[in-house]
Amino acid sequence: MSAKTLMRQFLSENKWAYVISILAIIISNFINVQFPHILGRFTNALEAHRLNLHDVLVYAILLFVVGVVYVQFYAIGQYRNGKLGREFEYLLRRRLFAHWEVLSTEYFRHKSIGDLLNHAMNDIRQVREALSGGLNILTNAVFLLLATLIMTFTTVSMKLTVVSMIPLLFIPLFIVWFGPLIRTSSRQVQEALSDMSDLTEESLSSIRLIKATANEDVETERFRAKVDHIVHQQLTLFRRSATFQAFIPTMSSISFAIALLYGGYLTLSHQIQLGAFVAFTLYIGQLVQPLQQIGFVINNFQRASASLTRLQVLLDERPSITDCEQPIELGHVRGEIEVNLPSFQYADGQVPALRDIRFHLMPGQTLGIVGRTGSGKTTLVNLLPRIFDPPAGTIFLDGHDIRDIRLEALRQSIAYVPQDGFLFSTSVGENISFGDANASREQIEEAAKAAQVYDDIASFPDGFDTVIGERGVTLSGGQRQRTAIARAFLKSAPILILDDSLSAVDMRTEKRIIEELEKVRQHKTTLIIAHRLSAVRHADLILVLEHGEIVERGTHDELIRLDGIYAKTYHMQQQGEALRA
Amino acid sequence: MSTMDSSADRQRRKAGVSSLGRLLPYAKPYVWQFALVLVLVVIFNASTVMQPYLVKVAIDSDISTKHPNYHGVLVIALIYVGVVIIGVAANFAQTVLLQNAGQNVIRTIRLSLFSHIERQAMRFFDTRAVGRLVTNVSNDTETVSQFFTNFFLSLIRDGLSIIMIVVAMFELNGRIALYCMVLIPIIFAISFGFRGQLRRAYQTTRTRLSNVNAFLAENLAGMRIIQIFHQEERQSRAFEELNESHRQANVYEYRTSVWFNRAFEVLGNIAVAAVVWMGGGAVLKHWIAFGTLYAFIRYIQQFFQPINAMTQQWNTLQSSMVAADRIGQVLAVQPEIVDAPEPVKVNPENVRGRIEFHHVTFGYQPEQPVLRDINFVIEPGQFVGVVGATGAGKSSVMSLLTRFYEPQAGDITVDGISIRAYAQADLHRIIGIVQQDVSLFTGTVADNIRLFREDISDAKVHEAAEIVGADALIRRLPNGYATQLYGKGSNLSAGERQLISFARIVALNPRILILDEATASLDSQTEELVQRGLHTVAEARTTMVIAHRLSTIRRADNILVLDKGRLVEQGTHEQLVAASGLYAMLDAESGVEAGTRDTRPL
Ligand SMILES: Nc1ncnc2c1ncn2[C@@H]1O[C@H](COP(=O)(O)OP(=O)(O)OP(=O)(O)O)[C@@H](O)[C@H]1O
Ligand SMILES: Nc1ncnc2c1ncn2[C@@H]1O[C@H](COP(=O)(O)OP(=O)(O)OP(=O)(O)O)[C@@H](O)[C@H]1O
Ligand SMILES: [Mg+2]
Ligand SMILES: [Mg+2]
Repeated sequence: MSAKTLMRQFLSENKWAYVISILAIIISNFINVQFPHILGRFTNALEAHRLNLHDVLVYAILLFVVGVVYVQFYAIGQYRNGKLGREFEYLLRRRLFAHWEVLSTEYFRHKSIGDLLNHAMNDIRQVREALSGGLNILTNAVFLLLATLIMTFTTVSMKLTVVSMIPLLFIPLFIVWFGPLIRTSSRQVQEALSDMSDLTEESLSSIRLIKATANEDVETERFRAKVDHIVHQQLTLFRRSATFQAFIPTMSSISFAIALLYGGYLTLSHQIQLGAFVAFTLYIGQLVQPLQQIGFVINNFQRASASLTRLQVLLDERPSITDCEQPIELGHVRGEIEVNLPSFQYADGQVPALRDIRFHLMPGQTLGIVGRTGSGKTTLVNLLPRIFDPPAGTIFLDGHDIRDIRLEALRQSIAYVPQDGFLFSTSVGENISFGDANASREQIEEAAKAAQVYDDIASFPDGFDTVIGERGVTLSGGQRQRTAIARAFLKSAPILILDDSLSAVDMRTEKRIIEELEKVRQHKTTLIIAHRLSAVRHADLILVLEHGEIVERGTHDELIRLDGIYAKTYHMQQQGEALRA
Repeated sequence: MSTMDSSADRQRRKAGVSSLGRLLPYAKPYVWQFALVLVLVVIFNASTVMQPYLVKVAIDSDISTKHPNYHGVLVIALIYVGVVIIGVAANFAQTVLLQNAGQNVIRTIRLSLFSHIERQAMRFFDTRAVGRLVTNVSNDTETVSQFFTNFFLSLIRDGLSIIMIVVAMFELNGRIALYCMVLIPIIFAISFGFRGQLRRAYQTTRTRLSNVNAFLAENLAGMRIIQIFHQEERQSRAFEELNESHRQANVYEYRTSVWFNRAFEVLGNIAVAAVVWMGGGAVLKHWIAFGTLYAFIRYIQQFFQPINAMTQQWNTLQSSMVAADRIGQVLAVQPEIVDAPEPVKVNPENVRGRIEFHHVTFGYQPEQPVLRDINFVIEPGQFVGVVGATGAGKSSVMSLLTRFYEPQAGDITVDGISIRAYAQADLHRIIGIVQQDVSLFTGTVADNIRLFREDISDAKVHEAAEIVGADALIRRLPNGYATQLYGKGSNLSAGERQLISFARIVALNPRILILDEATASLDSQTEELVQRGLHTVAEARTTMVIAHRLSTIRRADNILVLDKGRLVEQGTHEQLVAASGLYAMLDAESGVEAGTRDTRPL
């Protein structure tokens, strides 16, 4: 559902609430315009010496009542509108998060988090402001304007009103011409701000690198350029809005001068009474404010519409990976995997990242994948949980094309340790139990033991409740990796994927983890990517990838006999052994 | 509603006020612009105050007299337009000038905040979410700038308006004016009544919003994990909770501020009624002319405009105080590690590269030592391996050497000089480190290798890439060296990322090179290429290599073995194997074959 539909739906769902609050504002306006009218009558009566002290009191009380009742009505309308706006803000954020949760990895790679946050914070706030404050002011201004006009027409003089209004007619023309300029400027300011936030985020996340390379000054310069750009854009915006805001009072002052001249003339020639003249000058004064406000609101709406468009684009983004028409519900997953992939290419790649990949894994078998850097190992295993979508009819789980299986069921059946195991800044325990909110302490500890990270965690002062820094910065490289492994272990799925997940642990720990894997191996289909052959040594099938193609395949022994790339690597890594022997 | 504040509240406000005060010096260079703004505001205000007066003159002396004078009305109308135009022009100039000053103030605050953060030691970053620091730099500064623009403007413009209106009222008629002054204590009473409530409402909303923000930042970064583990619903619920609690606070804050502002409006209307009552009587008794009453009514209405405007700015003040406080908290943190007052002067080129650790003890928390009494010497040009179980403290050793943290005891020297005597920038020019975690920037591959430095030419970039064997690979990318990398290099494979971070250090050509698991994501062939490349560039360079793959360091001149924060053995591979200690055990387990429970025949 797009942002605009969402807004329309919200407005229609709450139409009675809006009707009531707008009605309240309208009523308040019609009450409010009685104010100058009463004052005018008071003036006339005073001039005509028809008043005594008691009448004065009556007028005063009348004014008092009008003043208080008007504010009551207005406050009700204003509050209700504001509340609705804030509810919409809340809905929009909820919608946005839900939307992000279904978008695929491909999407997030193109977007910076700073930019997305800017949508969720500033754009939504902008829309809300237009919807609550803007709507209040607009309703107020428009009806005040109308009510004032009606009052001047009926109680003062139509001629006087029309003549005085002429300069005010230029205002809408000006708004139409100038509004888009402000909108453009406002968008540019938002973009400049986003850029700066992005750079800051990136720099501070890479602070270790920046410090280690004494690159602080270069970063500061890059930051300065962004900041200067913001200043430039902001000043352009301010100049434009100031021009915009100066135009309206100028026009209304000319109106006022006409009212003074023409109204004065009419009064002098006794065509209207002094009271009418006084009331009229008050009315004109009352007109200036709503006009100015309309200008302000239009400014505001211009910005909000720029924001709404930005949100629109975002919410229109269709998730590229979704369930098919009639997804298959997997009951019990055995874990048989068949891959028959002629080629796979990234959307922005020029050549296929994978070509002619074919293999078949029976339930409980282990597949080892090795190969040069950039040969396509990660790409291959990413296709299985549909992080990137394989072409139809190329990858099968238990005999079903994975694209026909319900995404939820598919992902439920796979435990995956990605190459860069992202951790949340919660406690270690919560990270491990991320896949299962109801996991017991025993289960968590068991998973930690299997991943050989239990002792490390136990040695922390707060144990499993230790809160780790952002992305786990306060853990050592190997601890981070093992926590990610424990997280996957806890999710007892029939398929387990380890993408180079033992690279940061020492040999001994690696051995122990592999032993753990061996224990459960009968029940799990396992895919292991590794550079250290010790991790794939025991696999039922080992694939050697090179430039996206399988160049060698077989068991460890077969590959050694083949005396190709695998054997060469083996000898390089075995060297020590050989030396000693 | 209570007018009493809790003491915590008061303290927080005080902190806010004083942090705002601490930011004032940033506005100092623009003091002339602010002064000019003041003048322009006076002009603008004078023009506003003159408007009812002009009409009064027209009514009393030209229209409502025995000798009406149309010419007079004409003159006054012209003066009126002139006055308004002058006012509008002054207002325009004032806005532009003030925003200019305001923007420059934020610019300076941003720059100093950013470099202040960059100067912090590593511990600072361990405990702070980057997302919140980004908010400090982008949003909080923006909010504070409103103090210098909107609030400052409102204070002088509206303050002045009030004064001018009051003066004008006294000019017109002292007695009625005096009665009107009853309003002032009432206004104060209302403000005080709402004050605490408004501030609390405001702060709650802010805090909850920044929770929403922090949650989003982290979850967007980890969205892939959420999807893989299929925790969308759970995270949705967590978000819902934060979002909902923000909504409640937000609505409550709005309601409070609506009642606050409307209270003043009611007061304003009551005041007009009162003026009519008093003034009407006075006109009847011929104490004042009708024009005067007219002016009074207009003035009372005008009087409430600045008051309303100022109460609107109350929110601005609240938010800038909160923001200033947050910025202040960051600026108040002195970098834990600073350069010596007079650091030794070194030419990084001439450093020989001798490293010594002398009884070094260190813990991230002092009571929890991670490294204990570490002693070792590395001679210039040596190739040293560091091994040990994961979590043994290897990376920590390197963090100490680069002075990211300061040891609790002991000293570290480079070429016989304590690293504390070097300027940190010099130290980091001498020591190059390829870290366990790769950091890449949005930008081209070439930019990432030269780290945006202008002094590193394209040729040098290519050369560096060639040395580490990344050249062929980079040329295979869609646009070669000009290929645009996405955030954190997500369109490269992990090994490719690591190679680029290698090339980067080679381009910088430091005298001491540290590789922290830098080849962990590389296959053996690529790793060997990289190592051979590194050897050829600088034979005489001191190199420290942390590796779990023992084959990587087997040829090292010296191998340091760490266990649970202690240096337990050192020596060459042969010596250590012969000593049959921890290293020998690790080595025995390190081959491809070793230790597997595999019984199948080879
Ligand atoms: N999202 C992407 N868009 C475009 N190209 C990509 C993307 N991800 C990876 N590539 C490219 O596809 C190729 C294969 O990458 P992949 O990550 O599968 O390698 P890998 O075998 O896992 O390498 P490593 O051992 O370094 O992890 C690489 O050349 C890489 O640059
Ligand atoms: N920034 C930090 N704050 C607090 N504790 C930390 C921090 N960094 C590391 N530690 C702790 O210090 C210990 C040593 O960590 P270190 O990173 O030096 O280990 P390592 O030997 O490099 O391990 P690995 O081989 O896994 O990378 C670990 O227990 C780790 O949890
Ligand atoms: Mg990979
Ligand atoms: Mg480490």
